[in-house]
Amino acid sequence: MTDTAPSITREQTARVQTARVQTTRVHTALFAEVTQKLRLRAKELLESGEVVSVIGWEAGRFENQTTPAFITDANKVDRLIFNEYCANTLGKYVLSEKLDGKVAVCVRGCESRGINRMISDNQLKRSEVYLLGLPCPGMVESPEVSHASEPSHAPEASSKLLSKCAFCTHRQPVVFDEYLGTCEATDETLGGLIPKPIDPSERFSDVEELEALSLDERNAYFEKLYNNCIRCYACREVCPCCTCRECFVDQARAGWQGKQNNLEENRFYNLTRVFHIGDRCVECGECERVCPMELPLMKINRKMVKDLTTLFSVPEAGLDSETISPLNTYDVADLEEYL
Amino acid sequence: MSVVESNSDFQPTVLAFCCHWCTYSGADLAGLNRMNYPANIRLLRVPCSGRVNPQYVLTAFNKGCDGVLVCGCHPGDCHYVSGNYFAKRRMMAFKRLLEYTGLEPERFQIRWISGSEAGKFRDVVTQVCEEIRALGPLKHSASFEAFAEQGALGTVNALTPANKAEEVVEND
Amino acid sequence: MQLSKERVDAFLAELNQAVRVYVPARGEAVSSFARYGQGTEPAFDLVNTDMPPKDMLFPQTEKMYRYGLDDEGKPFVDATFDADEVVLFGVRPCDMRSIECMDDVFLTRGFIDEYYETRRQKLTTFALACTAPAPTCFCDSMGLNAGQAPAADVLLKDVGAAWQLAAQSEKGAALLGKYKGFFDESDVQDAGAKNSDSVSCTLKVDMDGVKEKLDQMFDHPLWEDITKKCLTCGTCTYVCPTCYCFDISQSNRMKIGERYRCWDSCMFSVYSEMAGGHNPRADKLSRVRQRFMHKLCFFEDRYGKSLCVGCGRCIQKCPVALDISCLIDDIGAAELAPVALAGEKGAGDGKH
Repeated sequence: MTDTAPSITREQTARVQTARVQTTRVHTALFAEVTQKLRLRAKELLESGEVVSVIGWEAGRFENQTTPAFITDANKVDRLIFNEYCANTLGKYVLSEKLDGKVAVCVRGCESRGINRMISDNQLKRSEVYLLGLPCPGMVESPEVSHASEPSHAPEASSKLLSKCAFCTHRQPVVFDEYLGTCEATDETLGGLIPKPIDPSERFSDVEELEALSLDERNAYFEKLYNNCIRCYACREVCPCCTCRECFVDQARAGWQGKQNNLEENRFYNLTRVFHIGDRCVECGECERVCPMELPLMKINRKMVKDLTTLFSVPEAGLDSETISPLNTYDVADLEEYL
Repeated sequence: MSVVESNSDFQPTVLAFCCHWCTYSGADLAGLNRMNYPANIRLLRVPCSGRVNPQYVLTAFNKGCDGVLVCGCHPGDCHYVSGNYFAKRRMMAFKRLLEYTGLEPERFQIRWISGSEAGKFRDVVTQVCEEIRALGPLKHSASFEAFAEQGALGTVNALTPANKAEEVVEND
Repeated sequence: MQLSKERVDAFLAELNQAVRVYVPARGEAVSSFARYGQGTEPAFDLVNTDMPPKDMLFPQTEKMYRYGLDDEGKPFVDATFDADEVVLFGVRPCDMRSIECMDDVFLTRGFIDEYYETRRQKLTTFALACTAPAPTCFCDSMGLNAGQAPAADVLLKDVGAAWQLAAQSEKGAALLGKYKGFFDESDVQDAGAKNSDSVSCTLKVDMDGVKEKLDQMFDHPLWEDITKKCLTCGTCTYVCPTCYCFDISQSNRMKIGERYRCWDSCMFSVYSEMAGGHNPRADKLSRVRQRFMHKLCFFEDRYGKSLCVGCGRCIQKCPVALDISCLIDDIGAAELAPVALAGEKGAGDGKH
């Protein structure tokens, strides 16, 4: 193993430093306003019977922690909140919730692209969901719950932008039925208060840094990553692209995936996962956020996105629900490397 | 590519996925013409290069192959019209992904070989096998190597578990 | 007896010559118990390591035996198994309790698991009493004392510049005797001594009557509520120090095959799937219910203690903040159906 391989943390590259976010008064006002509107609309939608359920966030046990909320009773809409700790991307919950009827779901940039993704994958009809668009300034890490250290070593109580939000290109929802922000709450106006969405030229900077390493260093880096994987499959469960009724992992009799945890099997799982979703990945970064081993999974996902983008000049995934994903189509004029 | 002295005795195992309509026929023709090529290659006939699931490639490496070659009809010649075009996009992305995660580029190659190109088949197979011979065996984790030690009836699990990374380091 | 903090490294280095010493350590991404030496920096300030020490006794993948054809083509089965002497240094009281739970499972009730037993007999534990629980710790609500670890061979207490050592078993006493050159006989407590005798967690749950209530809550609507947000990933079960469910499978290559046992999770649908394809826990709800019922109810039926030790790891790591402490509160607050008919609460459901 090569010692020089970079450590497998989610620390950002030199070019994309994770910003520390100072919650400002304007911020607080924005969240309060949106929460107010959200509760109001949720109540109306539930009372009118237009939807059977509203998916949003509610407070968790700890301060600065939220958890997904499923509101079916119009009298309980006050549980809904929206603040800078709404880390969960909710889109995929629609698939199980819609079984009872039309569902309203809060969408930011990441959720809306996931919804588009599931519509183009025929998992969902647009008419089955009611999308409540929310303005998103980027979410921050919840310091209390993440690591259990004695107080003197506790992480600095500051607000660090979530890694997935640092790489976000679309903070605002790309599709919605109604928008609950103020009309001024656009990327531009919010950009003055909080870190701007990432510049497209910086989007693949972490992939480029790894690409610049030697083959041995990259091998060592990814071996470390695979060796640390415990195969809890949280990355699969949370992914809006992972909608197979039966995952290859669960096809025990076909025997694709051995159950033993070792380098070979972990590599097999991780590479297959990336390849299955890579051409459709909406880059919401949920896989990386949910990973209990804190593995930088987006560094593999984004490699695939980068290659497909440069090779076949495809647009970002999930911006609409019609574009065919690049590996589901071809062009006779594609670059020829294998003659 | 020059053959490294120390690896010249190494006999790699190379798996070639060959499309039934072109490359497999090309291999047949090479045989009919008594062409010589390394016996390190194992041909696996598939109906179309578009049938090659990237998981097959990973499985081949996991089962002990040192290299994998995927061959199909030339673009435009696919028996199923477009299978090789899909395969091409898929393999272009997959090959880059494997190289990014640390696989030597020579270990996974893709070539278009038609039914009449017996000479090309021989040349490609020879070249791929020699390149992989020069690279040496594919590295595996310690647990994989221990598994492969046939006949050595040692202790199954003398190592105390703990982290796998440690196991790899100690046995490297 | 005391071990000066300045001499800890010397002691561990010496000990590491004879046995394999594991200490809590920060890894590149998460913390776990790691082999001392090899550049491992012990992190005794960690309250809980992100990964529990259960893989010391119950590895994620355990090779059980090999079979196949030898060089002469004769069939063989090789089931030799051995483990190394291990010292687990700096394990927390909750994790010691989890080892007690696993002992119950693997060593009692008429079946002794040889693999577990071998490792257990060769394990010596140095528990480190807690002085400042993390916000997610709730062990005292689960009947533990964060300053005590009765199952440990040696208990360490922080007395400022040193650790107070108390042997709690013959094994522990023998080991301390062997290395007594490293220890002082003093009992001094300096100003930096931290109180570990009456540690109280900030997170509290009320376990009174929870088990009895759960006995009647198999079909309670509460499970539907918590199931909605659960992803049914295996995170909570894999970071849990007491989740011991496993699967046995094999891999074959050429003429050799290997039978192994590996961690499995009741959250996965394949876990309960049977050979014919029938799955008694096919839906998400029954799997989620199973996990919590096993932790808080079924295990108590069988072994007389809760399978949750209050370490808080699942609270820290759950991707959707499905918090077992909130669930316990919800169970406490739940209203029971007026008549709970015995025999209609799914008595047929398996225990694990």
